Amino acid sequence: MLELEHLSRRFGDKTAVADASLTIAHGEMVGIIGRSGAGKSTLLRLINRLIEPSAGRILSDGRDVTGLRGAELRAWRARTAMIFQQFNLVNRLDVLTNVLCGRLNQMPTTRVLFKIFTPAERALAIRALDRLGLADVAMNRADALSGGQQQRVAIARALMQEPSVMLADEPIASLDPINAKVVMDALLDINQRDGITVLTNLHTLDTARTYCRRIIGMAAGRVVFDGKPEELTESVLHTIYGDAGDGAVLDERMTSTSLPMGIIPAMAR
Amino acid sequence: MNSIRLSDIGPAEIAAQRQRMPAVFGMTGRDRAIRWIVFGAAAAYLAYLHWLFDFGRVFSGLEKLWVITRLMLDWSAFSSWDHVELIQSMVETVAMAYLGSMLAVVLALPLGFLGAYNIVPQRVFRFLTRRLFDGMRGIDQLIWALVFVRAVGLGPIAGILAICIADTGVFAKLFAEAIETIDRKQLDGVTSTGANRLQALRFGVVPQILPVMISQVLYQIESNSREATILGLVGAGGIGLRLSERIQINAWDQVAYVIVLVLITVAVIDFVSRLLRMRLIGTASRRG
Repeated sequence: MLELEHLSRRFGDKTAVADASLTIAHGEMVGIIGRSGAGKSTLLRLINRLIEPSAGRILSDGRDVTGLRGAELRAWRARTAMIFQQFNLVNRLDVLTNVLCGRLNQMPTTRVLFKIFTPAERALAIRALDRLGLADVAMNRADALSGGQQQRVAIARALMQEPSVMLADEPIASLDPINAKVVMDALLDINQRDGITVLTNLHTLDTARTYCRRIIGMAAGRVVFDGKPEELTESVLHTIYGDAGDGAVLDERMTSTSLPMGIIPAMAR
Repeated sequence: MNSIRLSDIGPAEIAAQRQRMPAVFGMTGRDRAIRWIVFGAAAAYLAYLHWLFDFGRVFSGLEKLWVITRLMLDWSAFSSWDHVELIQSMVETVAMAYLGSMLAVVLALPLGFLGAYNIVPQRVFRFLTRRLFDGMRGIDQLIWALVFVRAVGLGPIAGILAICIADTGVFAKLFAEAIETIDRKQLDGVTSTGANRLQALRFGVVPQILPVMISQVLYQIESNSREATILGLVGAGGIGLRLSERIQINAWDQVAYVIVLVLITVAVIDFVSRLLRMRLIGTASRRG
């Protein structure tokens, strides 16, 4: 169980996350929605401890992880794998090595410096790539792949960390609808078959409705909604997204890039 | 069965995967053997070179070195030295380095673009430009200086030309390599606006390579100020000429003084270039 207690983060005089308190059970798939700048990315980065909170605590199964330092902090990061909007792969490395990066936390540094991976680690990397349908491109350079493939490589890297939580920061915002569906299906599959908790920021409401049984809405750094997709009424959406200032009504079709479930065959498993 | 746990990976799976994708499991025995042979040969050659080097001479020369050091430290005649001439020559040396480097930048910028494969895809043309850079760079500044001293006579002009030619080769190569590592997306973005080739290079490429360029040019000016001292030794103007005169008449106290002048100058140039680099690269990155 992951608990956030009164978590806040300020950048200068700007508050990115304000007093966020949440409890997330093992194996949940949670979508976080909100406008740009609502603090969604900051929240995920706080959980991974890429940035430090200004106030508040993060508890994992009752253990305070806010004060972790050094090796313990890095182990925590490995347990809470991150997926980024821009994939954040190392362009000049091949796909295999990018995926093997997911093992770095478990490896002795000397072995890392000389780029020595054991056969078992390599076999595991192929297993991870196989699951995402990418074993064929293992030896290609990461930047030679399409965006959708790159994001799946990033997911394979995250899986290699053997995480208990996966934090996906706008994983499909740079992808076309079909690749977006492939990536979201992969996240759902990981959530359901491996029991890994998935927390994902989404800027498309219908994707959140389709994939997540629980949705958190953020506005101006605060958690303003926490419930089931059915409870997202017009007035709730208004609280989350506000209005455009010119009286325009929010139209889900305008923000959607996702395809309905079942349009394309599920990817090879 | 497909869980991603390292503990689930057994020898059977490793063997199966190795069979399926050998490339993933790294080098074959043959590749490894070749690598060790190459390493071994390089190590053996190094050991041989060390054996060639005659350490005995170092020890026999120590006594003379001690005498020279003592002479160098005796600055009692300080007020009688020709300070005006020395400082003028120092300024001349820095001016030579600066002018030579700047001329080289002007020449090297277009050449750099011509030598980058992502700008000029024609192989033959690029091969020729690259070999031209090699030629300019491969012949040392000192050799160029000797040539130009014969051609235009003793003095700083020969030094400026020598620095310019040698550095054009260096800069053109470094610029070309910087251009080859640019992010294509940014260039595409500028080209998509309807910009012509030169415009696109100006706004799609130059901003990306500017920090690298500034850094390299500043370093080269600094390094040339040091090396221009040597150019003076062959008659290409500047402080080096004064230095060689004083070495010839065994005026070791003044030699030490000249060396101190050079060190101070290099330190000042280093300081100024660090300031400039921070300033210029800072704005360059803000401009994207």
